[in-house]
Amino acid sequence: MVHRQGTGTNLPLVQMIRNLKDKAENSSFSLNPFAERAAWSPGTEMSGGERKKRTPRGTGWEEAGGEFYQESYPGAELDLEALPRDPHYFATLLPSKQNRAATTRKPSKVDNKATYRRRTSTRQRNTNTMGQNTIPNDIQVAMMPDLSENLANEETTWEEMMLIKAMPVTMAQKKEIKAKLLSADTFRMQGMRRLKWRRRKLWEYLKVRWKEFHTRIELWRSSFQKMDGRFGPAITSFFTFIKWLMLLNIVVALIISSFIILPTAVMEEREEECLPTNQTSTSIPCCSQLYMEHNSSLAAPSAVFEVLQGSGWLDRTLLFYGYYTYTPLINGSIYYDLPVAYVFTFMSVFLLCFFTILKSGSVGFKERLIESEGQYYKFCSLVFSGWDFCLHSDKGTSAKHKALFLEMKEHIEQERREDDKKNRSRDECCRTLLTRLSMKILVKLIFAAASSLIYFTIQFAYTELQTDDYTDEYRLLLEYMPALSIVGVNLVVPNILHYLVTLEGYSPLNTQRMVLLRNLLLRFSTICVLLVSIHSLVGCSIGPNDACVSHSCRTPLCWETFAAQQILKIVVVDFLAQIGITFFINFPRMLLARHVRCKLTKVMCLQEFDIFKHLVDVVYIQFLVWLSSFIMPLMPALGALLLFVLFYVKKFACMVNSMPSSTTLYRVRKSTSLYLLVLLGTFFAAMGPVIFAAVTLEPSRSCGPLRGQRTYASLVESTYRSFPTWIQNGATIITSSTVAFPTLVFLWLLFYYYYILTRENRQMVIVLKKQLVLEGHDKQFLLNRLSAFIKQHQERHKPARSIDPPIANSA
Amino acid sequence: MGQKCSQFTEEELQDYQDLTYFTKKEVLQVHQKFKNLAPERVGHNRNAKLPMNKVLQYPELRVNPFGDRICKIFSSSHDGDCTFEDFLDMMSVFSETAPTAVKAEHAFRIFDFDGDDMLGVADLREVIDRLIGPHRLTDSEMAYLVQNMLAEADLDDDGALSFAEFEHVIDKSPDFSSVFKIHL
Repeated sequence: MVHRQGTGTNLPLVQMIRNLKDKAENSSFSLNPFAERAAWSPGTEMSGGERKKRTPRGTGWEEAGGEFYQESYPGAELDLEALPRDPHYFATLLPSKQNRAATTRKPSKVDNKATYRRRTSTRQRNTNTMGQNTIPNDIQVAMMPDLSENLANEETTWEEMMLIKAMPVTMAQKKEIKAKLLSADTFRMQGMRRLKWRRRKLWEYLKVRWKEFHTRIELWRSSFQKMDGRFGPAITSFFTFIKWLMLLNIVVALIISSFIILPTAVMEEREEECLPTNQTSTSIPCCSQLYMEHNSSLAAPSAVFEVLQGSGWLDRTLLFYGYYTYTPLINGSIYYDLPVAYVFTFMSVFLLCFFTILKSGSVGFKERLIESEGQYYKFCSLVFSGWDFCLHSDKGTSAKHKALFLEMKEHIEQERREDDKKNRSRDECCRTLLTRLSMKILVKLIFAAASSLIYFTIQFAYTELQTDDYTDEYRLLLEYMPALSIVGVNLVVPNILHYLVTLEGYSPLNTQRMVLLRNLLLRFSTICVLLVSIHSLVGCSIGPNDACVSHSCRTPLCWETFAAQQILKIVVVDFLAQIGITFFINFPRMLLARHVRCKLTKVMCLQEFDIFKHLVDVVYIQFLVWLSSFIMPLMPALGALLLFVLFYVKKFACMVNSMPSSTTLYRVRKSTSLYLLVLLGTFFAAMGPVIFAAVTLEPSRSCGPLRGQRTYASLVESTYRSFPTWIQNGATIITSSTVAFPTLVFLWLLFYYYYILTRENRQMVIVLKKQLVLEGHDKQFLLNRLSAFIKQHQERHKPARSIDPPIANSA
Repeated sequence: MGQKCSQFTEEELQDYQDLTYFTKKEVLQVHQKFKNLAPERVGHNRNAKLPMNKVLQYPELRVNPFGDRICKIFSSSHDGDCTFEDFLDMMSVFSETAPTAVKAEHAFRIFDFDGDDMLGVADLREVIDRLIGPHRLTDSEMAYLVQNMLAEADLDDDGALSFAEFEHVIDKSPDFSSVFKIHL
């Protein structure tokens, strides 16, 4: 038997004697289950990293063995005080019950109460008699490289030094271990290995420097810390989400500017001119010219109005789809096919967004799935990760106490409610059902009313705008009427919806979900109404009498730019509305609540930061950005800017206007995955209309990079045609039924295989859990027997003990 | 840095950087915070031992229901009084870069009130009691909660959570690492 300590240079003699006796003990005292384990010394059988991990626990075993050995051997050092009267103490000796702290923890004074403390103190005495100053003995054993097996080199020493910080011991002990490691003999490394190690060290050093640098430049770091302190990390996660969304928009904007905007701005375009001699008046160049003339004829009185209306000269800027040319860009010898670049950039940008959301959310989505299966520590994580350790404000603390209290109550109530549901009488059942049904119908009616209101407003505005004889102010109002009506509906209706949901009597969690879902649906449906009205202008096919656009539908010359302007107006109005509400309605409310001593104002004006409500606001902006970025390439950049400002607006709403929420307990990871889930839904909602338009609608003939194409998607098709034939052939083969069908079958089989595997594993989990419980019972039983046995033994050997002095002293 | 640096030598800072999850600069920040707790005492002796009630004036610990436990766990004399090195240890464990396993180990010790290396029913009750602060649960509600916690996590059915079981819970509750931190 090679004991780990024996392998080192400094071997305590007493320990060695004990170990030898331990070994002898094995044969004679086989009744003791620990004796065998005591002889087993860590490091003999196991190798490498596994050993390092096990050793601290191994020492616990070894010492437990020592304990028994002492019992059975009168004459060895033995202290009756330390012997456990209670099997529970043995339970703490088991390796499965120990954290590293227990085995490495050092007592400052000799403490006779707990066995392990007692043990460590004896050990300390032993080592001290040998004139060694190794206080953190156990750890040293754990940390010291085993010289007999493989001699330490500089790299392993360094690696172990990096591991010290994870140890739950005091700084003085850590320092000592470090000194020990540094003073121990090590191999100098040479050649390639030394170089590699040097590189690793440099890498670590750079990482530290980068961390320092990063904390200094990280955007909004101090804001996040402040929020953490006052509201806890769950609220902060919302703001981190805003930041994440902003970064996504910035990346998208960079891609778009480098592939679309920059080439257009730098390179020159050559559009064909409209020559009446050899071209009909409906040809692309002539339509383009018509649009240019139309634009220059549309003279708005001042620049302010133009900017506000988003028309006039703004039409002919990089902001809108209409500006981009349909001919390839040429700069010297460089040839840049802008239409193709335009379409493919947007395709890749949308794919990028999709995969980024999926990737960020994947962990959270998985957790949600697991949770829905019920394999989740609901109560335990509520208690153990309940407190936000970074909280430091009194208000936040009391709110947190209350929120935790309510959440626990809610968990308790939940079961009761389920019981209630079962025991509910038929009358009650009918009543709740009826209420919910009527509420649902009411909500649908409200949706219908809101949508038709918006629809008629838009129709009114469009018909009025056909005639020209209005004052500028009235015209501006008409222009903004659709946007105003949509934003107005978005502001008013959610309050009604919120009130209605509370009448339906769902559980708090479901109520929140309902509110969130309905708010999102409302936002989407209002935009949908706008899109339908735009579609009614655009969807007509061009008749034989029409020149460039369909006159029967009154299609604008460049309808993409027209649609983009509509959406831009909504974005602007919505954004202004948010600022207005935060600073001019909610801020005074907060002042009233804080300074007027009146119950009514307190009830009416106290606000809590309702994450879900604000989430809808943020996601809505992103929805509009995605919806319009194809017809407005600068939209992602604008979106990033808006989100940047919105961060401060929401921060104001959170830090100044709101109190920490005491009614809802937000969870960090759960909320984050919810944001991403909502964002994913929004992405699909935005992509729906875009893809629909790309496949079915004809691009306007007077403007934009795609004029002259049958649909937006047909350019993709024609580009594909121009690929080399081998790629085309390859694609045809892959998509042909001879390949696709077997692939499908294969995938299906694979899916089935995993399904079976999961089912089996689930079964196995149940079986193993049962097994574990049985083992636990067995252990309990054995421990009881053992303690009884020890008690017996103790009484028998009591007289013998007093005669023999402890070995440690005699040595 | 000048004056701030004067209380530590470069080697000491290097030691601290190697042995904690902080960079040298952050170590100095921690010391500044420690000094702010008792400027006159720490000014004389940079490693002065501050009594627990002084340490508990640190904003995050003041409102923390487990503040006294944290002090006791990290105190090298086990009575809650902390020297700067104890304080540094504490902040290192609560820093953002400390791995979850290290945090879990300390969390276990914080929650283990009677120090028997098991989270028994009494420990769990105490944790819940401290979490809800001034509010009170009835005995049956408390019993229900504890019973449910044990049903979830006590895999070997011995009526208490061992460290391994606790670690398992922490593995499965993703919020833990984002909650168990204190900003510098």
